[in-house]
Amino acid sequence: MSGVLLSTTDLSLSFGGVHAVRDVTFEVEEGEVYSIIGPNGAGKTSIFNLISRLYDVDRGNIEFEGESIIRTPPHNIARLGIARTFQNTELFEHETVLKNMLIGRHVHRKTSLLSELLFLPGVPKQELRFREIVEDVIDLLDLQSYRDQVIGSLPYGVRKMVEVARALCIQPKLLLLDEPSSGLNPEETEDVAFWIEDINQDFGATVIMVEHDMNLVSRASSRVMALADGAVLAVGSPEEIQNHPEVLRAYLGD
Amino acid sequence: MEVFQLLVSGISQGCVYGLIALGFVLIYKATEMVNFAQGDMMMLGAYVAFTYINLMELPFFWGLIATVLTMAFIGVLIERALLRPMIGEPPFAVLMITIGLGFILRAFAGAVWGSDTKAISNPFVGGVVRLGEVSIGFENLAIISGTAILCLVLYLFFRFTRLGIAMQAASQNQLAAYYVGIPVKRIYSLVWAMSAAIAAVAGVLVAPVSLVEPVMGFIGIKAFAAAIVGGFGSLPGAIVGGLIVGIVEQFAGLYLPTGFSDTSAYVILILMLFIRPEGIFATMQQKKV
Amino acid sequence: MRFIFKTKYKQDVDLFKHNGQRFWYGLLVIAALIAPFSLDNFYVGELALVYIYAVAGIGLMLLVGYTGLVSLGHAAFLAIGAYVHAYLLSRGWPFPLSLFSAGLFTAIVGAIVGLPAMRMTGIYLAIATLAFAIIVEQVIAHWESVTGGYRGMLVPDAAIFGIDISDGRPFYYLCLFVTIACLLAGLNILRGPTGRAMIGIRDSEISAQSMGIDLARTKSIAFALSAGFTGLAGGLFAHKLGYLAPDAFTLLMSIQLLLMVVVGGLGSMHGVFFGAIFIGMLPQGIAMMRDTLPAAVGQLPGLEPGIFGLILVLFLIYEPLGIYGRWRKIRQFFDEFPLYRKATHKRQKSYLRTERVR
Repeated sequence: MSGVLLSTTDLSLSFGGVHAVRDVTFEVEEGEVYSIIGPNGAGKTSIFNLISRLYDVDRGNIEFEGESIIRTPPHNIARLGIARTFQNTELFEHETVLKNMLIGRHVHRKTSLLSELLFLPGVPKQELRFREIVEDVIDLLDLQSYRDQVIGSLPYGVRKMVEVARALCIQPKLLLLDEPSSGLNPEETEDVAFWIEDINQDFGATVIMVEHDMNLVSRASSRVMALADGAVLAVGSPEEIQNHPEVLRAYLGD
Repeated sequence: MEVFQLLVSGISQGCVYGLIALGFVLIYKATEMVNFAQGDMMMLGAYVAFTYINLMELPFFWGLIATVLTMAFIGVLIERALLRPMIGEPPFAVLMITIGLGFILRAFAGAVWGSDTKAISNPFVGGVVRLGEVSIGFENLAIISGTAILCLVLYLFFRFTRLGIAMQAASQNQLAAYYVGIPVKRIYSLVWAMSAAIAAVAGVLVAPVSLVEPVMGFIGIKAFAAAIVGGFGSLPGAIVGGLIVGIVEQFAGLYLPTGFSDTSAYVILILMLFIRPEGIFATMQQKKV
Repeated sequence: MRFIFKTKYKQDVDLFKHNGQRFWYGLLVIAALIAPFSLDNFYVGELALVYIYAVAGIGLMLLVGYTGLVSLGHAAFLAIGAYVHAYLLSRGWPFPLSLFSAGLFTAIVGAIVGLPAMRMTGIYLAIATLAFAIIVEQVIAHWESVTGGYRGMLVPDAAIFGIDISDGRPFYYLCLFVTIACLLAGLNILRGPTGRAMIGIRDSEISAQSMGIDLARTKSIAFALSAGFTGLAGGLFAHKLGYLAPDAFTLLMSIQLLLMVVVGGLGSMHGVFFGAIFIGMLPQGIAMMRDTLPAAVGQLPGLEPGIFGLILVLFLIYEPLGIYGRWRKIRQFFDEFPLYRKATHKRQKSYLRTERVR
C-alpha cells in the first residue's frame, strides 16, 4: 500500500515514580485502522497525549510523515494533519454544533486580523468555503438536525459524534479516537463501527483508536497493539491478539 | 541598628499580611472560592472589637474573644446568604460576589461607625522590649506572637482532626464528598467562620499600629500578593509569603525612592506570576484528559 | 414567533438574521441620531457618557465574556488612553490621529500585559491585572513631567474641520460614531476565525489547542483588542472629564466596568449596551434615592459603591445572565406562551472536580 505515517521509537513517559509509557515502539501505516487496547492504566491515553503534545516525552521519538514531532508546539499538531478526540468530550459547551465544527477549520484560515476587523471580502468568502467543508462532514455523520443546537443541550451519543465531527473538519491525515464507544449502547456502538469505516474509506484518514470494546476492535481494525503497564505486549491482527497468551494473562490474570 | 528595626517592622507587617492571606487560603483550600473581601472582614473585625472594647468597655482579652466569636458568627451568616447560592457556579461569579461583598461591608462600616478613624484601647501602647540597642514595640510583639500561636493551632487542627481531612475532600470533589457522607455545606460554613475569626484576630492585632477606618481592608490586595508568593493552596505558604512581602516592602522603602515601596508588593506579585505562578509551596497539578 | 427559513449559508454569516432585526436596529440608530434635538443638554451629555462606557464595555466584554480572561484592572487602559490622547493633543496632533494613536498605544500595552497571561489561569490572571492597574496608577501619579501627577492634566479642546467637538452635540455624535464603529469591528471579529478561537479558549483550552489554536497568540490578541477599544473610550472620556487626575481611574472604576458587563449580561454585545445604560443611569438613580432616604443613610460617602456591591450581589445570585438574559427570558416567554417552561433556563450547576488540577 503506502508508507508509514506515524512511528514511535522507545517512547517513554513517567509521572513521578509511575511509568505510564515504557519504551513503546510501533508503526502505523497510511490508510489503516490501528487499535490500541489494554487494561486501565496501560498508558493508552498517555500515548495519545504524547502524540498531540499535551505531554512532553521523557525519552524516545515520535515521527509523523518522517519528521520528528516531539518538540512541536501543541497547536501546530493540527496543522500537520493530526486530529484527536477526548475520552471525556472536551467540546465548546456554550456554542452550537456548527460553531464547534467551524473552529475545526481554524488551521486552514488565511485571513489576517486586520481583514477580519474590517470584514473585508476575503473573510466572508473564507467563511463560506469553511461552511462547505463543515457541511460535508455533517452529511457524513448525519448531524443535520443538530446544527444550530447548543452543545449543552445534546444527548451524550450526539456529543461524541460532534467531537469526532469537529476533529474531521481539520481534514486530518491521522485521526486519534480515544474510546469512541465508551458510554454508548450496543446500537450506537454499531454506528461507530460504520462511521469509522466511512472515515477511513471515504474520507481517507488513517485512524488510531484506543478501545475497550473487543467487538468493535475486531470489526473495524486492521491491526491491534496490546499494552499493559505502559509496555507493548503484542502487535498483530485482531484474531491473533485476542488469542495471544500474554494478552489474556494481562486482562484475566493468571 | 536600622536594618534590624526594619526587619522587625517587616516581620510584624508581614505577619498581618500573612494572617489575611491565611484567611484567603483557608477558604480557597476548602471551597475553591477566592474571597476578595478578606481584608474587609479584617476591617469589620477591628470595628467589632472597637465596639466591645471601647464602646462597651470590656477588658481587652475578653473583648478579643467576644470579637472572634461574633466574627465567626458573621462569617457563617455571610456564607449562608451570599456563598451558599454560589456553590457550583463558575469561579468568576464567586470572585465577583466577594468583590460586591467588600463594597457592602465598607459601606456598612461607614454607616454604622462613621468614616473617621478610630483607635482601639489596648494594653500594648508604649510598652517596649529592649534587646541591646534595639527596641521592639509591644504591639509588634503581639502581632508576631499572635500569628505564631494561631498557626500552631491551625496546624494541629488540620493535621490531627478528621474535620481537616474532610475539608480537603470537600475541596477536591464536592459531589464525591457528599456521597461519602461529608456534610459539605456545614464544612463550608465552618471554614468561613474560621476565616472570619482569623480576620478578626488580624484586625485586633493590627489596630494599634495602623488606623481603624473603613478602607483599612485595602491591604488585602497586598495579602493577595503574599498568598501568591507562598502558593495559593498552602497554609504555611501564606505566612511565608506574607513575611517576604512585608520584609521586602520595608527595605524597598529604605533603598528605593519614595513611592516605590508602595508598589513593591505588586511588583513582587507580578514577578512571581511570571517566574513561578504556583508559588513557593506549589499545589497545582496537570489535568488528565 | 418568527421562524427563520435559511436558504443560503451567507445568512449565517450576516450580522442580521432577518429583516425584522434590520428594521428595529435601524429605528434605534435613527432615534440615536435625532436624540440631541429633542433632549436637554444635560441628557445629551449623559448619553454620550453611556456611549463611552459602551465602547469600553465592548473591549472588556471581548476579553471577559468571550475569551474568559478576567481583568480587574481595566480602568488602567482607560487611563492610558485618556492620558496619551490628552498628551498628544497638547502637542498639537490633529484630533483623529491623536485619538487613534491613543487607542493603538493602549492596544500595544494590552498585548504586552497579555504576554504573561498565557502562563496564568483564572484567578491569578485577575490578580495580575489588578496589580498592573495599581502600578499604572502609581506611574501616572509619579511621572509628573508628562502626566502632571496629582495636580492633574488639562485636556485641550479639539476640533475637526473647525467644529469644536469637545462638548455638546458634536461630542455626542462623535461618541455615537465611535461606538457604532467599534461595535461593528467587535462583531466582525466575533464572526471570524479569531473570534471563534477566543470562544474556544473560554470554553476549553485543551481542545482549543488540539484544534490548532495558538493560545498565547490568541490571548495576546484578545488583550490587545480589548485594551485598544478601552483606550479609545479613554480618549473620549478625557474630553468628558475635561481635567485628568489619577483618582478618576481607580479600582472602583475597574469594578464599575466589570459590573457593567456582568449586570448587562456576559457573553453578548447586547449585554454591553444594557450594562452601559445601567451604569450610566445609576448615579442619577442613586442621587434621586438619596433624597428619599433618611439623612443618616442618604448622606453616606460610601453609599454609591455600597449600592454597586449590593446590585452586583443580587444579580449574581438571582439573575447571573444579566439584564440581557432576563430580556431574552421575557421574550421567550411571550414567544412560547402559554407553553413557556421555567426549567429551560435552569442553571447548570457544575459540581466540579477541583480546578487546581488543570
